[in-house]
Amino acid sequence: MIFKVAWRNIWRSKVRSIIVLSSIAIGIWAGVLIIGFAFGMNNERTAAAIESTLGHAQIHPTEFLADPNAQYTLDSAALDTITAVLTANPHITGWTSRGIYQGMVAAPKSARAARILAINPATEADLTTLDEILVEGEYFGDRGRNPIILGQKLADKLGVGLKKKVVLTFQDSRGELVRASFRIVGIYKSLNAQWDEFNLYIRSSDLANQTNTTDIHELVLFYDQTSETEAITAELDPQMPAGTTLLSWKKNSPELGYADDMMGIMLVLVLGIIMMALMFGIVNNMLMAILERRRELGMLMAVGMNKRKVFLMILLETLLLGLIGGPIGILLGDVSVRIMMNIGVDLSSKAEGLAELGVQSVIYPEIVPEYYLITAIMVLITALIASIPPAIRALKLNPTQAIRGN
Amino acid sequence: MSKVVIEVKDLHKTYEGAVPVHAVDGINLTISEGEFTALKGPSGCGKTTLLNLLGGLDHPTSGAIHIGGVDITTLKDNELIDFRLRNIGFVFQAYNLIPVLSAVENVSFIMLLQDRPKAEREQRARQLLQSVGLAGKEDKRPTELSGGQQQRVAVARALASKPQFVLADEPTANLDSHSTENLLDIMERLNQEEGMTFVFATHDDRVIQKARRVVSISDGKVIGDSAK
Repeated sequence: MIFKVAWRNIWRSKVRSIIVLSSIAIGIWAGVLIIGFAFGMNNERTAAAIESTLGHAQIHPTEFLADPNAQYTLDSAALDTITAVLTANPHITGWTSRGIYQGMVAAPKSARAARILAINPATEADLTTLDEILVEGEYFGDRGRNPIILGQKLADKLGVGLKKKVVLTFQDSRGELVRASFRIVGIYKSLNAQWDEFNLYIRSSDLANQTNTTDIHELVLFYDQTSETEAITAELDPQMPAGTTLLSWKKNSPELGYADDMMGIMLVLVLGIIMMALMFGIVNNMLMAILERRRELGMLMAVGMNKRKVFLMILLETLLLGLIGGPIGILLGDVSVRIMMNIGVDLSSKAEGLAELGVQSVIYPEIVPEYYLITAIMVLITALIASIPPAIRALKLNPTQAIRGN
Repeated sequence: MSKVVIEVKDLHKTYEGAVPVHAVDGINLTISEGEFTALKGPSGCGKTTLLNLLGGLDHPTSGAIHIGGVDITTLKDNELIDFRLRNIGFVFQAYNLIPVLSAVENVSFIMLLQDRPKAEREQRARQLLQSVGLAGKEDKRPTELSGGQQQRVAVARALASKPQFVLADEPTANLDSHSTENLLDIMERLNQEEGMTFVFATHDDRVIQKARRVVSISDGKVIGDSAK
C-alpha cells in the first residue's frame, strides 16, 4: 500500500508532476539523440577511413613500423605465406599491396614532405574508394608516363593543378636516392584532410621503371564485416610469418580508436550533465510536494510510521518519477533516431569544418542499445540521489507542529 | 478498581527562551481503563502540550509518564514511534486523513504499519467504519466526505491499531453541532460497549458535558478534577 500511496501522490498535483516528468523525458530524449548522433558521426568517419585508405587491417614488416625506412620490405617468402593464409580465410574480401616511401614533393613554387604510396591501380580501385573520391582529373589508366594523384589540400599548398609537373625525391629500398618528375592526372579529396595533405599516389609499375624493383611495405586487407574486425584480425594474427605484423585499423590508426574511446567518455559526461540538471528539477519538485504535505506526513509520523517507512515512501515517489519519465524519454529518443536514421541530417552548411574531422556532411544517427541501458541506470541513480534531500527534509518534520500545520 | 492506563508523575515541560514558559508545571494525573475524560482549559493553558506528552509526541523536561506500566520518557525515538503505533490512537482537530486513500484504506494503513495480514486489515477496517456509521462510504476519498464523516473515519483509524487509549485533540473544533453530537455519541458508545479509554483536550462545552471526568488545567497546573 505504500507503493499505492506513492503512486497516487504523484498524481495529486498533476500539472507539477507532468512538468517534472516532461523535463525528465526531454532531457533523456536529448541524451539518446546525442548518443545516436555521436555514434553515427564516428562510425561514418571510421567507415570512410577504412574504405578510402586504411582497409580493415594492414600487414607491414615489423621493422618498418618502428622505422618507416624503405629498406624494410615484405620478402617473397613472407608474401607467399601471407597470400596462402588470406586466400584460405573466408572473411577476406580482398587485399592490395603498397610500396611506401617518405620523401619530398617539389613544385616550382614550393616543396613539401610527403608520403609516397606506390600502388597497384587495379586492385586499389577495386577495394578502396580512391577512384571515386577524385574531385578533378581521372584515375590512373594504363597509358601515360609517370602519372600522379595528389590530395586536394596538398595540391593547394604546393600551388599546382591538373597536368602540372611535380618532382618526387626519396630513397628506394637499396638506399639509392631517386628523383623523378610526375604529371598530375587526378586530385582526390577524402574525408580526412590530414591524410590528403600528406599522401600521394603513384603507380608501382612507374616506380619499378626507375628502381628496377617492386617493393612491398604494406598489404591492406579488407574484411566482409567491419564489426568483426578485431575477431578476424585475432584469428589471422597467429598465422602471420615471422618478421611481419598484422594490425587492425584501430591499432594502425590509433587516433580513430582514441576517438571511439573519447566519445564513450564524452557521452557519459554529457549524460551526467543532463542528469545533474534533472536532479535539481526532481529535488525541487519533491521538496515542494513535501512542503505541501507537511500535515499529512506529521500525522503519519505521529501515529507511528517509522522513519524507515517515511523514507521509503518518499524514495518510491521519487523513483517512480524517474521510472515513468525515463522510459518515455528513451522511447522518444529511439523513435527520433530511427526516423533520422532513414532521412539523415544534413549539416552541409558546416561541411568544411566536419571534413577536417573526417565526417561526412549528412549524418545518419545510430541506435546504440547498450547506451540505453547506461542511460536507464543513470536515471535510476539520479532519482535515488534526488530522493535523499526531500526524504531528509521529511524526516526532520516535527510531528506536533506539522499536524497543526504551523 | 479498574486497571491504570496512564500515570503521570510530577510532569514538567518548559520551553526555554528569553522568558521560560512553563507549559506543563508539575502535573500529577492517573487515568484508568474505560475512562471518558476531558482535559479542559482556555487556549494556551497547556492542555495540548500535556496531550502531546501523553501521546509520546514530545519529551518532558522532567517527570515520568507510565503507559500500561512502561515509562515512555525513557524510550528512544524509534522505540517511541513503535510504542505510539501499538498503544495510542490519535484523533486530530483537522482530521488529517491521507487524501489519496479511500476511507477503508485510511483505516487499514495503520494496520499495514503494524504489519498485519491483508485480509485482517480489510475486514477490521470495514467493521470499524460500520461501527462509526460509515457503512457504504468505505471507498470514498476524504474529499468526498463531510467534515463529520472524515472525523469518524479518523476515529475508526485511531481504533484500528487496538490502542490502550485514544487521545483526541479538539476533535470537534471544526464540526457543526449536529456532527459534533453524532461523533460524541459514537465515541461514547465505543467507550461504553467496548471499554475504550478516551482522553480529550477541549474547550468545547458539548464535549465537556459528555465527559464523565473533567480535568481543569490552567497555567500548566491541574486546578480541578471532577467525576460525574
